[in-house]
Amino acid sequence: MEPSSLTGHISRRYNKDLQELRSSVSAMGGLVEAQLSRAIAAIVSGDSELGLKVANDDYKVNEMEVSIDEECGRILVTRAPAAGDLRLIVAILKTITDLERIGDEAEKIGFLASQLAAMDRPTDSYVELRNLGDQVSQMLKAAIDALARLDVDAAFDVAKQDQRVDEEYDAITRQCITRMMEDPSSIKRFMNVTWAARSLERIGDHAKNICEYVIYMVQGRDVRHTQMDQELSQEE
Amino acid sequence: MSEPVRKLLLGLLLLISAGTAVGWLYGQPLSGLLIAVVLALAWQLRRLIAFDNALRSGDPGDFRHGDGIWQQLYSRFSFESRKSERHKKRYRELLREIRKSTNAMPDAAVVIDSNNEIVMCNRAAKELVGLRPKKDKGERIENILRHRDFSKLLADADFDAVVDVPSPLRPGHWLNCRVVPYGADQRLLLIRDITERLRLNKMRRDFVANASHELRSPLTVISGYLEGLTDDDIPPDLKAPFRQMQSQARRMNQVISELLELSRVESAGRAGFDDSVDVAGLMHAAARTCRERAGAPSIRVDADPSIRLLGNATQIESVITNFVSNAMRYTPETGEIVLSWSAKKSTARLAVSDTGEGIPPKDIPRLTERFFRVDRGRARSDGGVGLGLAIVKHILSRHDTELRIDSKLGEGSTFSCTFGAERFERLGHAQSNEVA
Repeated sequence: MEPSSLTGHISRRYNKDLQELRSSVSAMGGLVEAQLSRAIAAIVSGDSELGLKVANDDYKVNEMEVSIDEECGRILVTRAPAAGDLRLIVAILKTITDLERIGDEAEKIGFLASQLAAMDRPTDSYVELRNLGDQVSQMLKAAIDALARLDVDAAFDVAKQDQRVDEEYDAITRQCITRMMEDPSSIKRFMNVTWAARSLERIGDHAKNICEYVIYMVQGRDVRHTQMDQELSQEE
Repeated sequence: MSEPVRKLLLGLLLLISAGTAVGWLYGQPLSGLLIAVVLALAWQLRRLIAFDNALRSGDPGDFRHGDGIWQQLYSRFSFESRKSERHKKRYRELLREIRKSTNAMPDAAVVIDSNNEIVMCNRAAKELVGLRPKKDKGERIENILRHRDFSKLLADADFDAVVDVPSPLRPGHWLNCRVVPYGADQRLLLIRDITERLRLNKMRRDFVANASHELRSPLTVISGYLEGLTDDDIPPDLKAPFRQMQSQARRMNQVISELLELSRVESAGRAGFDDSVDVAGLMHAAARTCRERAGAPSIRVDADPSIRLLGNATQIESVITNFVSNAMRYTPETGEIVLSWSAKKSTARLAVSDTGEGIPPKDIPRLTERFFRVDRGRARSDGGVGLGLAIVKHILSRHDTELRIDSKLGEGSTFSCTFGAERFERLGHAQSNEVA
């Protein structure tokens, strides 16, 4: 399905509705990206104010989810879309749920950042969280790009990266456990670090989900769970 | 009628009349006529087929020379086709040149239509924003460059506005975007990388701040000793130079503290809305201080205490004192200074006007430059440093407004600024009484 096939309707109003819908999903994606990058910046720079701000701004993401949800419902009822259009609406409905969850995770990270800022800071200023964070934000950005461009190849590439994020998360967890055993007084701090890493890892999973919806939307096949892994092994 | 056509018609007429004449001789003029017409038709048909073959193969054959209508047609046709070929080639070259030059541009240029869909973009758009020139055609630009401010810029269609957004490709880089109207129903989006500019600005600010700090420490030592010495410690012939040293050290201290303040204001972000600033109170306080000075002109305060400015209190105080001390400096004892603070429905205006000597119109735009003086001669005599209005300008821009200067030579000047609705609030009646 090419992007242009979305504009192939006789009703220009319908075309416009679908285009607007995609734009607002992209806008929501942009907002979520900004939230995530600010949350990571808050952790890395130990800026508790920024962290709280991220946590307080989550309502904007939620508002967008509700409004896009309503718009999808309206299109379903008034236009009774079929085939590609129906897949588009279904994929968007699922995507915004994932985006909203990413927003929630970013909120959590922001809150953790404000807590971590009040504690001792390591000399490396959480470089491992920054690495993981950069990887995840890059993945999220690529996922939303793939969604905006309906680019299946890019979606596959992003989905593949999730593996690396998981490995990085495992490494951070192991590192934290070692540190906690060395110095029990730092357990509280490293619990927070683990939770932040956990949130980032979850964001990676949500980004992967979005890519799966892109593949579903464009090609009409469901690559979730088992099939995705086979697809990946075929591609390699 | 042109020559070839006349020849053709004449030939046909001759053939037909000859045919008819021969037929008439045999007593059958109609058959003669018919045969002549068929012959003429067959001949022309043959020429037509030959003409078609010649055009197809590009070999003119016997159409090359001659002045018959077919030869003429052929030469005109080949002339026109050569001409259009030449034009096409020229346009192709022109197009290639244009494309080359747009691709050579260091700034990204993207042509978008009224739906914000990408029509065309140059190579820099790929490097700066990550657009793919062929594949992204027809995509909406705000789906790819996702940023709130950017979407707002496109929606507002304000062709003077610029926004800075973080680069989607390189972390830490900033892009400056603006939109200009272009062709019918299209817009041209220009994007440039301003990371370097921001970095240089920051370097300059840091340099000023650091240099001021470095200068301040030795100066503290010098002025410390100078203050410590009393008149009795000084030999009489050194008293005058000693006073000079004291006053110059004080002056240098002042310059440095103003430089530091300027760099502080510059690096501060947009002022928050936390302080509810009592502008009327600040004005009364500034007026009180000034009245105590000898030779002060009369000072009138016309301020509404129920209107509070939302911003940074220390910065606003600095604006008012700067305005007032400037006015004091240039207003004679017989003059008048008026401080006013009032609000209309959606705007509030802060103004200080004087009946001083006024400012020449050509100097007004330069007043906010650092160390700029209208009158070089009196530069250092009156105690001003020359940074006051530069500080004011920055403070006001942090409060979403700008400095306005109205002045007439010999009649006086007015320094004012107007704040938007979100920058002020009105207190209820009870509260304003309490303030008064």
